[in-house]
Amino acid sequence: MEAFRQEIIVGAVVVYMAFCVLTGLWAMKRTQSSSDFFIAGRGLGPIVVALALFSSTLSGFGFVGGPGLVYSIGVSSFWMVVISSTGYAMGFFLVAKRIRMIAELRDCLSLPDVVAARYNSEAVRFLIAITIVLGVMGYLATQILAMAVVMQAILSGTTMFAGIGLVTCVFISSAVLIFYCVTGGIIASVYTDVVQGAIMMIAGTLILFTATSVFDGGMQEATSIILADDGEAMMPFGAAGIMASLGWFFVFGLGLAGQPHLITKMMMNKNMADNRTILPMSLFGYVMAALLWISIGVVMRAAVVDGVIPPLNQPDDAASIFLSVFANPLLAGIVFAGLFAAIMSTSDAFLNIGTAAIIHDIPKAVRGHSLNNELFWARVVTVILALVAASFALYSHFQDATLVALLGAFGWGTFAASIFPVVAVGLNWRGATVAGAVTAISAALAINFFVQLAGIALPHGISGPLVAFVTSMILFIGVSMLTRKPDLPSDIDQVLNL
Amino acid sequence: MLRNVINWIFAVSLLMGLLMIAMMLAETAPNSAGLPHPEHPGMQVGDDGIARLDSIGIFAFLFQSLLLVLVVCLSLLGVSKPRRSPRLFALMGGSLVFMLFVWWQMYSGHQAFLATGETGYFMGFPTATAWQVYGTWLGAIPLVLIYSLGFRKYIYTEEDEAAFTRLLKETRTATESAESSS
Repeated sequence: MEAFRQEIIVGAVVVYMAFCVLTGLWAMKRTQSSSDFFIAGRGLGPIVVALALFSSTLSGFGFVGGPGLVYSIGVSSFWMVVISSTGYAMGFFLVAKRIRMIAELRDCLSLPDVVAARYNSEAVRFLIAITIVLGVMGYLATQILAMAVVMQAILSGTTMFAGIGLVTCVFISSAVLIFYCVTGGIIASVYTDVVQGAIMMIAGTLILFTATSVFDGGMQEATSIILADDGEAMMPFGAAGIMASLGWFFVFGLGLAGQPHLITKMMMNKNMADNRTILPMSLFGYVMAALLWISIGVVMRAAVVDGVIPPLNQPDDAASIFLSVFANPLLAGIVFAGLFAAIMSTSDAFLNIGTAAIIHDIPKAVRGHSLNNELFWARVVTVILALVAASFALYSHFQDATLVALLGAFGWGTFAASIFPVVAVGLNWRGATVAGAVTAISAALAINFFVQLAGIALPHGISGPLVAFVTSMILFIGVSMLTRKPDLPSDIDQVLNL
Repeated sequence: MLRNVINWIFAVSLLMGLLMIAMMLAETAPNSAGLPHPEHPGMQVGDDGIARLDSIGIFAFLFQSLLLVLVVCLSLLGVSKPRRSPRLFALMGGSLVFMLFVWWQMYSGHQAFLATGETGYFMGFPTATAWQVYGTWLGAIPLVLIYSLGFRKYIYTEEDEAAFTRLLKETRTATESAESSS
């Protein structure tokens, strides 16, 4: 079997991609309107929503960048994973019920639709839509790049595709993604998410068993090796330090309830009471899949420190080298399919919300109505958005070799700081005003982009997104308290009472 | 004024902002955010843990403690006012105590390691890290249980469901009559 390792891996990935294409064709018949395209007609069951929710949370950032971050900075990056229970709890307490209610009452297709209804303001809709488009570009590019990097690693191991370039890999992987997103919209996305989620859970669990068998003493031996090399790297705050770690708790924990690609899925369930089961199911799925992040990262750092394998060229190679060195070919095939699943499940969600922002929300905010023939334009813009993001990904890769993971964190941080106060707090507090929302979003965007683009390194590992998030929370509540309490439309007022 | 959850959220956010400013102004150790590994490119080390916690350790401890308070306050905000019963406050308070206990175990475990250079292990990880990996994750499980098991009591009661169905019907009727009259 070892002699056919690459063929088995390529076969598993091809089967997975064929499944995505077939799902797109199947979903095309069910996609008759823009409501079907963007929110699946609000008719999804709890298992589908739960799997779609967690598989969209754990992206290429988790499967490629996550192990790379553990390799690079040790335990610091665990904080992004262990906050999942806090993050999901926040999302459900603050967002799930009211976003679903407003979506049904006002027939909303997107998050900016809900926000416009809540604040009775096109300005807030516009700012949220712009935030989504900006964040989507960075995030989607990261996902596409991650997908191409993994594909190149797989194909270059075969005789036939030994010299395959990154550009070709970007083209192939984007083509599959675009196909099922264009044909089947969100229906294709969520049903592929179900399978993607299942693959990710299986992959995470199997990898944990493989990782614990790399060293005779299991995980404890691996962590002891890292501890002996550098005590801090294996202690709770890792190499990056206490404030980098706690900043990730804040931005990834609370910030989950500000991620548009996730909270949009909370608008899609058929029955509101299903939320009580969706929360634990999503959390369970996430934890099983995230085992991969921690176990691969720890074992790869320990293996390099111990001299079992040579140092990696770059941290993001951790997952693919682990699979090629330590995993059984069949398992490697499943996990590589899982990697693509993780990346594609997030990418399709981003394509969907980005497209909705461009063809539905921005025109509505500017002209008072969305485009005519929304379904047609949704398909056209999905293609354009994916192509622009792919170009951005290649530019970023060849011009600046920043870690895939950090690009992903920037996208998450932008959404968390800009959207969390306005949506998660605003849906639960009558006193939230348009002025508060506009100030918070603008400040969050300005701080995030300024710190990132100017390359400012704050002391003690304090991150730009953390500063932006805390500032936007203070400004949102403070400015809202200082401005006149709004007169809410009667239906929204009643929803905020429930 | 203090009975209003949003005031607590605002106060806690402000305090966290002030702590962050204090930390930015505090003395920085060269390894405060890690240093390149001396042998392996692509890896970072934390190096001297005592030095980098020296000027901000207490601020960081308070920052995280406030963050946990914020998590519980936000969870309370997500429950509509009439459902915020004394029992719910007790459950949320219990969750907060549990999360603070986990945080204290992790922080003090790390301090003990820095002082002695020795640590025990639990399920594959050094003790302080085990509190982080398993404890932090489990720390919010009480909130998940309050949401799921208390769904019909605190989040979306039978009365809420009936009221929403009524509201939906009224809205649709109003929309239909507006469309037919136009």
